[in-house]
Parts: sequence; C-alpha cells; structure tokens
Amino acid sequence: MDVELIEIRDFLAGVHPFDLLAVEVLGEIAQALEIRYARRGTPLLVPGDRARFLYIVRTGAVETRDPQGELLARLGEGECFGVRALMHDGLALNHSHAIEDSLLYLLPAERFARLRQAHRQIDYYFAPQIGGRLPATSPAGQADPALGLMTVRVETMLGRAPVTLGPEAGVRDAARLMRDERVSCILVTEDNRLVGIFTDRDLRNRVVADGLGMATPLSRVMSKHPVGIDASASAFDALLMMSRHNIRHLPVMRGATLAGCLTTTNLIKTQATSAVYLVGDLHKQETAEGMRAVLSALPDLVRSLVDSGASAHNVGHIVSTLTDAATTRLVRLAEKALGPAPVPYVWAAAGSQARHEQTALSDQDNCLILDDAYDEAAHGAYFTAFTRRVCDGLALCGYAHCPGGTMAMAAPWRLPLARWRQLFQGWIDEPEPKALMLASIFFDLRPVAGPAALFGALQTPVLEQARGSRVFQALMAGNALTHQPPLGFFRNLVLVRGGSNANRLDLKHTGVVPIIDLARVHALAAGVRAVNTQDRLKACAEAGSLSAEGAANLREALAFLGFIRLRHQVRQIQDGQPVDNYVAPDSLSSFERAHLKDAFSVVKTMQSALAHTYQLGRF
Amino acid sequence: MPPPLPPEAGRDAWEQAHEDALIRAREDDATPPRPPRPLIDACAVRLEPLWRHVFGMDLRRLWLGMRSPRGPLRAYYRAPCPRPATPWPAVEYLALDIEATGLDAETDEILSIGYVPIIEGRVRLAEAGYHLVRPRRPVPEETAVIHGILDGHLENAPRLSQVLPVVLQALAGRVPVAHHAHMERFFLSRACRRLYGQPLEMPFVDTMALEYRQLGGPDQPLAPGSLRLGRIRARRGLPRYPAHNALSDALATAELMLAQADALSRDRPARLAALLS
Repeated sequence: MDVELIEIRDFLAGVHPFDLLAVEVLGEIAQALEIRYARRGTPLLVPGDRARFLYIVRTGAVETRDPQGELLARLGEGECFGVRALMHDGLALNHSHAIEDSLLYLLPAERFARLRQAHRQIDYYFAPQIGGRLPATSPAGQADPALGLMTVRVETMLGRAPVTLGPEAGVRDAARLMRDERVSCILVTEDNRLVGIFTDRDLRNRVVADGLGMATPLSRVMSKHPVGIDASASAFDALLMMSRHNIRHLPVMRGATLAGCLTTTNLIKTQATSAVYLVGDLHKQETAEGMRAVLSALPDLVRSLVDSGASAHNVGHIVSTLTDAATTRLVRLAEKALGPAPVPYVWAAAGSQARHEQTALSDQDNCLILDDAYDEAAHGAYFTAFTRRVCDGLALCGYAHCPGGTMAMAAPWRLPLARWRQLFQGWIDEPEPKALMLASIFFDLRPVAGPAALFGALQTPVLEQARGSRVFQALMAGNALTHQPPLGFFRNLVLVRGGSNANRLDLKHTGVVPIIDLARVHALAAGVRAVNTQDRLKACAEAGSLSAEGAANLREALAFLGFIRLRHQVRQIQDGQPVDNYVAPDSLSSFERAHLKDAFSVVKTMQSALAHTYQLGRF
Repeated sequence: MPPPLPPEAGRDAWEQAHEDALIRAREDDATPPRPPRPLIDACAVRLEPLWRHVFGMDLRRLWLGMRSPRGPLRAYYRAPCPRPATPWPAVEYLALDIEATGLDAETDEILSIGYVPIIEGRVRLAEAGYHLVRPRRPVPEETAVIHGILDGHLENAPRLSQVLPVVLQALAGRVPVAHHAHMERFFLSRACRRLYGQPLEMPFVDTMALEYRQLGGPDQPLAPGSLRLGRIRARRGLPRYPAHNALSDALATAELMLAQADALSRDRPARLAALLS
C-alpha cells in the first residue's frame, strides 16, 4: 500500500545520518518503523535483552548506563541507540531507560541490516558504534597521507619538456643527451608518437652488461609501448601505476601528445616535508636566535602538514622531532662553549615532547640524568652553567621556561642516576598527591642527547618497580580519572563556563589528556617502555593489559580528538590568533559532533573499566 | 447532545462543541443522533437499549453478525472482540480518522480514511493505511478548506464500497481508537448500514474522553480547547503533526493513546476496560 508518512519522513530527513538518504528511501524507512512511548523511568533495554530494533529518539530523552551503573551516554531528539546491542550477538550490553517521557521510533533489526547493506553512508556512520570503533580516517579523510597526493595533478609536477630521440638514434647519442639534459630517461618517439622509453637502467642492463655496440639503435634496447598516464590524473594514480608496473619513469600524455615524463624523484619532492630541511637548518645554526628564526616556520609547517592530510600523530612526531633537534643543537653549542662534560649525562625530555605529541612551541619539560661518577663539588658548576645555557636557549627559541620548574636547570631535576632511582622509588612507595603529579610527568621520559645505556639504567628498574606496585598503579589510576569527558552534555556538549572560553569545549582536558593518562596507567601496569600514547596503547594491547578492542577504540578516539584539536589550532594560526584548545561546538559539523560524542563515550567507558579494575569505586 | 452547528463552522468547532458538551454534561449524553431507519431494521433497533443492557456487546455483535450478509461485515463480526479484562498491551488496536464532506453522518460522505494499528503496545507503521474515497456529490467548499481534499484528488479514488471492506478487514479483532470517536463511529456505522444493511457495533477507545477522565472528569475546570488533539499532544510532550490529514490524525491519536495507556498503568499494565469509553 502506498502510504505517505510525511511527518515521520520529514523528521528522518533532519536526522543524521538519515539526512544522507533520498526522500523515497526515507519514505520506505518511515513505513518500516514502529513507534513506542515510554514514560520517564521506563527501562527500554536491559543487559541480556534480545535487541530487535534500532531506536531513534523522537521526543524526550534516554540514558544509557553500563552494567556497573556508569553513565555512558545521554540521547536526545534525533539520536539513535541500541546499535551496539543489535550487533553484539543481538543482546543488549547496557541499560537504557527513558529519563523523560519519550516517543521512540523503532527500526526493526532486519530492516536496519538491509539499510546498511544498501546505503554505504549509513553503514559508515554506524560502523564505529557497531564495532565499538571510530573510523580510522577523519571525516574529510584527512588522516590518510595518500590524500595529499590525491589532490595534486600530474601535470603540475612536470618540470620540463620531454627529452626525446628517434628509434634509430644510437645508445651513445642517447647517453650523451641524458648527461647533457641531466635526465635519467629518454622518450623514444616516431612521428611525434611515443614508441618506447630508454632509461639509465636499460643502458646498464641491456647495453653495457650485454656488450652491445655504442651505435646500437634505441629501437633494439628500449622498452616498447611503455605505459603512460594522462596529465590530468592525480599524483596518487601515478604512484599507483608506477608501483603496479614496477617502473620509475612514467610518460605523461596530454591527449595524444607527449607532455613529459614523471619520475619517482618528482613524487618524492612533492611529498618531502620541509620538516627534514628544518632539522638540517637547525643543526647549522650557531645561536639560539638563529634557531628561533628557523623555528618561526613551525606554524606554517603544521598548517601545511594538516592541509596535506597529516594526522595529529604525524604532526606530533614531526614537531617533537624539531624540538629534539633544537635541544640537541643547543646541547652541542653548550658543550662547545663550556668544554666537554666532565661526566656522562643524558638530557631527557619529559611531557609532550617525550611522548612525541607536541603540536606547537610549548613550555619545556626536561631533566638531566648524570652518571653516578658525578661529584657535586667538582662538577656542579659545570652542569649548572650547562643546563642554564640549554634551557635559556630553548626559551629563546620559543620553548618557554616551565612554570612548574621541571627543567634540567633546576637543581632538583639535575641528579645522578642513583638519586633519580631513589626519587622514583619514593614516588612509587609513598604515592602522595605531589608524588603522583610528578610521576605523571617523569614517567613520560625520553632521552634526547646522551648515552642510551645511562637512560636505560634508570628506566629499566623504575618500570619494574612500578609494575610491581599495585598500590601505586591504583593511585595513578585514580589520578587518571581527574579529567573527565564532558558526558554531562545533553543535546549539546557541556562547555567551558565563564570567561572568554564560555560555550567552548576544552578538547585537551576533556578528551586528549584523559586518554594520555589512561595510556600511562596501563603502560605502567604492563611495564611498557614506549611513551607515545598511541605506541603505549598498542603495546598494552599486545601485552594484554588492555583489551585489543579497548586499545583500538582509544587510539581512534585520540586520533579523532587530536585531528579536531589540530584543525582548530591551524584555523587560529591562519586567522593570526593565539592558539588554544577551546573548540566551539558550532564550528563542528553535526557529523563531527556525533563522532566527538562517540570519542568521549569511548573515553568514559575506558575510564569506568579502569576504575573497575582498580576497585576505585564510583568516581 | 452537542449543540447543532452550522456546517461552515468546521470540524474543529464541532469537536469543540462536543468537548464543551463533555465538560458540561456526562459522556453518556453524547449518544448518536437517531437517524431515520429502514423498516427492516426497526425491530432490532427498538430492542437496542435492551440488548445492550441484558446481553452486552458480545451477544449483540453475534446477533448483528448473523444478520449481516455474507461478506466483509460478517467476517468482521466473526473475529472475536478482545475481552475488557485483557492487559492493554495484549490487545490490538486500530487508530483511525475520517475526513468527510461535513459533520452529519446521515447526509455527509466520507472522503478519506486513515488508520494505523497498535500491536504489542507499539504503533506499526508498516500496516498503516490511507484511502481517499470518491463521494457521490462534489466536495463542499467549506469543508475542503479544512481537509484540503478537492474533487480533483478524488477523480480516480475508489468508491466507499471498495474501501470499506479493506477498513473492516483492518479492524477485525482490533479495538478502534479515535480522538472524539463519535464521528468515526457514526460514519463507519452509517456506511455499514448503507452497504450491508447492518450497523457497526464495536467497543471504542476515545482518546478525548480518556483525556477528559485523566484530567479529573467533570469536577475539574477545563480551559476551552484543552481537549483538542494538538493541545493534548503538546501537553504530553508529543511532537506536533499537521492536523486534518486522516493518516496524520490517526497516527497522532495512536501515539496519544500509547501515552494515555502508559499513564494509566502503574505497577502493571492497565486493562483494556480502563481505556474503553
């Protein structure tokens, strides 16, 4: 029967992801729905219930809590629930109940499955909830490095007119032309048609190795009928074609005419990040001021990295590498000025630099680990001056002095190995609040300059002790729950109250930091050496201290939050504003908001799990 | 009895009048206007009040079924009527709404019928139905402005004789639900009488009467218009639907009944009897 349920269809048309579907499809969905009314307090799904429907809140509100009673999500008008239950053996995992009188649209499971099959956009939207995962790629696909190449057309990469010869030309003439034109291949043409290609490699393999004469015509040794690519194709397609045919030279055609030749070098140049050059530049500088000038390109670098599709993880790695380069250079310059160090030492980075998660010039966090041969009376003056030089140099470069004083130039953080061990031992044995705060800084430690063995001599026993102390882990776990995702949001996200950041969302403290803290605790429990949060989560999953699914969810949540945060910062850079972590929710698409909620709910779930593991009670 | 109204006052005014009547008097005052009946029915009709008192609805339905010609109406009467003691979610309902050329079941004609069933306490849209009905006379302008159905829409619409069997089939074994059910009750019964010679006798859930009772009945002062479908839905936090499309109204009524039935249920589901008028 042809029945038009206009008001229901129109409602669906305003609800993501159904808004992506054609009106006729929405009409069909409307006809498949059932409608249920639930008074406030009515349970809708209880763990173990057979899940038969996807629920869409029409009016009212619904809350989902895990079996421990922890709040996972609050859903308002236009939001869906019951998805995970549908996929998890068809049994509900969590409690869902109406917290307001609610009218609910119910899409039967079988119909939902068909919808997902028929419409990729629906599947794409729900897939993260079904698998409990966020998509690896961000909405616009920016996290995929290949996308940078997607947007570049082949013709823009051609540097010069094609270098050609006729098929009757000898190999010596070809070699001369290649030398003079400084190219690695000759395109062989006949009547302006491409008939072959002759490369450096052909010269070696087919001419010299086979002892052919210098006058051998190209027609005998060239590769005939080479594959080519159209000038309008993307660099990505070009790369794909080269790897598929295992070739390094790709003739480019503009229609029937030869436009040029693309080489792997062209492609590498396009991809080569200026970061590498910046590192080189830093190492050439003789003064901190010079390095500051080099580093002034950093915001632009971050911007172009984000534009060309780098993930937050990539950017963090590159920016931290630059900080490392600046640090190493300053350490060398200090040694040059003050003479070689009297005892071996390790300059170690702490905090975000150690984790490879810096995204801009941020405050410095570092310390110095000295060999046990260190003698305060004999060597103290040298290292005081040395660390002062490096820290001040970093400050000149733009890495401000740490307001909390965790810097190598502060005497408490410039210690011989044995003292460092005692310090860590103290934090682990007597984890008072201050100790926990310091532990969370110094357990993220990475050597930047100095012998790796010295650093290992500290890290190995300390990790061992931390791993053995469940009390310490439990207190660190409690600490890791101080920052919580804004799950109080309801229909909207809970925002920073007051001040200039009113109505904005603090992505760092409500999203990124909780994940970093979670990863640290799990890493300590598993004795994982890695400090980068993504690496830690991966290693924890491998070591089994974290479920593979939980780790994957957290990693993807972090990637997504990191991406949103970075993009926000890049926009601020473009607008010439100071960079911060406060994102206005209305600057996000509804798609991104939905994913943000997913990411937050992953964090919340994993925090609950951690609290449960360490019996922290309700927090 | 509601006061007589000029036809141009439209259905809202009519509903309003009924509502006023409800508030002023008791529900049982609002019995159908007595139509002139064919002779053949005269005997049964005279006995109607007695039937009702002595044998109740079931026996009367049995009797009417036996008197109905073979066909849709008899098939309808054959389907058992849910027992009033049944918990409400275990009963199947059919929320329905009728738009007509006017308000008088004797002279006016049905133009459209919309309905949607409620099964296991859930509105089932897959079984929703909407039918336009071609009347014998042109649609009067004064009602066309209300429901928006024009003669042009009805050119290819089926006659009532083709639509009624479908509606009766949808109704079989289900309790009809309507907002201000008198209209639907009269029009359907009149249609059955005209086409099959027998009235349609059925227990009805009237969401307007139900709301009136839930608001406290005759003891409670009510603002004018407060029993209108849209107003009640707004009060109960239900979404706003456009009025005067038979299917929209049927759907709106169905959702309202869910909310009302839920409100009547405390520790366990209310019984059907609590919903019936």
